[in-house]
Amino acid sequence: MMSTPALKGIRVIAFTWVWAGPWMGGVLADMGAEVIKVETMQRLDSQRVVKITKNPEQGPNQGQFNVTNRGVKSITLNLKQPKGLEIIKKLVKISNVIITNFAPRALPGWGLSYDTLKEIKPDIILVTLPAFGSTGPDKDYLSYGSTLEAVGGLSASFGYPGEVPVISGPYPSDPIGSMYGLVGVLAALNYRKKTGKGQHVDIAQNEGVTSLIPEVIMDEVMNRRTRPRMGNRDDIMAPHGCYPCKGHDKWVAIAVDTDKKWHALCRVMGNPDWCKDIKFADQYSRWQNQDELNKLIAGWTRDFTHYEVMRQLQKAGIAAGPSFNIEELINDPHVKNRGIFIEQQHPAAGKTIVYRSPWKSALTAKNPPAPCLGENNNYVFKELLGISDREITELIETKVIY
Amino acid sequence: MFYKVLDGVKVVEFGNFISAPFCAKILADLGAEVIKIEDPRCGDSSRRAAPFLHDIPGLENSGLFQYLNMNKLGITLNPVAAIGAEIFSVLLKSADVFVENNPPKQMKQLGLTYRFVKEINPRIVMTSITPFGQTGPYKDFQSCELVSAHIGGVGYISMREGDISKEPIKLPAHLFNFQAGLSAAVATLSSIFRQSNTGLGEQLDVSEQESVIQNLNSSIARYAYGGQIMARTDAAGHAPFHILPCKDGFICAAFVEEAEWRRFVEVMGHPEWADNELFKDFASRAKYWDALKPLMVEWTMQYTEEEIYRRSQEKAVPLGAVRTAHQVLEDKQMAARQFFVDIERENTGKLTFPGVPYRFSEIQKEAPSPAPLLGQHNEDIYCGRLGYTKRDLNRLKEAGVI
Repeated sequence: MMSTPALKGIRVIAFTWVWAGPWMGGVLADMGAEVIKVETMQRLDSQRVVKITKNPEQGPNQGQFNVTNRGVKSITLNLKQPKGLEIIKKLVKISNVIITNFAPRALPGWGLSYDTLKEIKPDIILVTLPAFGSTGPDKDYLSYGSTLEAVGGLSASFGYPGEVPVISGPYPSDPIGSMYGLVGVLAALNYRKKTGKGQHVDIAQNEGVTSLIPEVIMDEVMNRRTRPRMGNRDDIMAPHGCYPCKGHDKWVAIAVDTDKKWHALCRVMGNPDWCKDIKFADQYSRWQNQDELNKLIAGWTRDFTHYEVMRQLQKAGIAAGPSFNIEELINDPHVKNRGIFIEQQHPAAGKTIVYRSPWKSALTAKNPPAPCLGENNNYVFKELLGISDREITELIETKVIY
Repeated sequence: MFYKVLDGVKVVEFGNFISAPFCAKILADLGAEVIKIEDPRCGDSSRRAAPFLHDIPGLENSGLFQYLNMNKLGITLNPVAAIGAEIFSVLLKSADVFVENNPPKQMKQLGLTYRFVKEINPRIVMTSITPFGQTGPYKDFQSCELVSAHIGGVGYISMREGDISKEPIKLPAHLFNFQAGLSAAVATLSSIFRQSNTGLGEQLDVSEQESVIQNLNSSIARYAYGGQIMARTDAAGHAPFHILPCKDGFICAAFVEEAEWRRFVEVMGHPEWADNELFKDFASRAKYWDALKPLMVEWTMQYTEEEIYRRSQEKAVPLGAVRTAHQVLEDKQMAARQFFVDIERENTGKLTFPGVPYRFSEIQKEAPSPAPLLGQHNEDIYCGRLGYTKRDLNRLKEAGVI
């Protein structure tokens, strides 16, 4: 009991693909839930077959899929076939939660509306995470992570000062959506514990993006102004930016928030004459003159590696850190110490690296790598649902288990 | 609150700026009672953060503070004073959750490490959010949004077409501070569920760096599978997404599947150049982007964001308008889902805020209450619950305890 993960005994059916939905599944698996992803040869999760794959010619178990879906189980089931629908309903009956980031019409289109699901299991929890929500005039609009950033209001405020808006590298709207989806699942689980009632929680991914950049909205509300594109600049702090270091494309981020820290920075840099310039004497002046200030600081950082700058500045109590690339990040001593990245041996793809949920807890479940397509068919159809071997063979032949 | 989900759950929040307050906001939005503890002299540091109403700074004028702290009770308390520490213990004794984002060293000095908090209240869930976690070589390092963005590996891959002589940049505002708070809320909700099932508590060690890392899905896969170190100008990764100028702003175009490109060609009225061999598929279009871009822009500059967005989506093209804050506030889809809320508050009057991106089918949505004025609920809590008299309150105030 002492070391039981929070969601031990909870069964989740996942109709998910790409990133936002699957990452929900991965985190739920970290929390100890049994997550069963329903897949079909009719339309494979694009992360199994496109984007990044190890050996593309070796089929649907080589993709980026393995990073996101670790710990999750997989069954293949064709829900367009009546027998397929019948089987999924049997699985719903013995499950607690259903998650999906498919388009709003997907589940109802198969005959799995919330009303129908409630009839099968009255206290079922359904969490839907479509791009724009399951209701409203644009509910059927299509999206990618990059377009959601744009519609959510993030892109207009993102870019270099005086330049055009740019797209983020990592497309955070997906994992933001996942986390809000998880808020929905866990809130509903808590609510059901108290009241016995299930729920349909619907989350709009674009609203998730907007929820994390309130400064952008409030500047418009309060001052009729769109927050300008600021690069690495801050509203008040200076120096506050990214400075070139020794080597190719190596940078260090430095942020100074008080005069005391400014003097500490000057000391670390050896108190060059330019530090005493009245242009940099106080925070306001430093902000006004930050372009010049940044050039001068760059003149100093250039002679050091980004690690050296970080160490010197952190020793003096100043916020500084390298702009890590993925290789540096994985090999960083702190990152290694925290056990964030985990090397796994995937049965089809071989060596894979995954990351755990962003918190350290003694209760995080130890899970296997991401599933091969339909890997858990026998477990779910035979063990959980009691379907006979003979019937399973027939279902495979008739492309129901497909 | 927005939804009465966590009725009866008591939270004590002790922190500053964004990550802990946002974590606690999510709990408060779901109906938990959140008592926010602020420094008596200056309050939460976000009170001093822009945007301010009419650009006039003031403890009660910050839009950021008011968004983060709606639905909470606010008290002032200085836990350094002996009696302050005693009051803190009393508050923790009857709490279910304790959310904080203070440096580990500071919590140790205050006698508020989990080891001690556990003795006051063994079943408490203590959510501790820090830039690098409670353990590891960087645990006492200084950080902020800028440093997190870069040391978490996102800055390095923030897209840059062509020229990398300029520094890598962070995403707008404080997206990663917020994302850490959101991740912490997910972990906390899971622990609350476990607490209700087992009566057991725990400490959740949430690291902002790790929260940033969860955005690196693609980067990890590329590295794990092929040793590729993703960089800002990684055209192959970014090729299908582009922000292009249009008549009154910008749009974000996305063509991952061939069919999407072909449909967009139809939206553009099938211009002759679209039949050019150079643009025949994904790889070619990426290779010859410099030739393709001006041709597309010639078309987009003729139409507004809204026109291009609607026409594209009508033809199932996953394009997004790069919305300004003003356009986000006017968005019909968000209006239909009643995403934005108006809150009336002393000093600043009625303002529009982002609401919550989730809807619960079986629970009535309620109106949120405004963020507390500094010390607004001192009397309610100290006198009403802890048994102090109003004269005690004055003495405590004079002594700098509250």
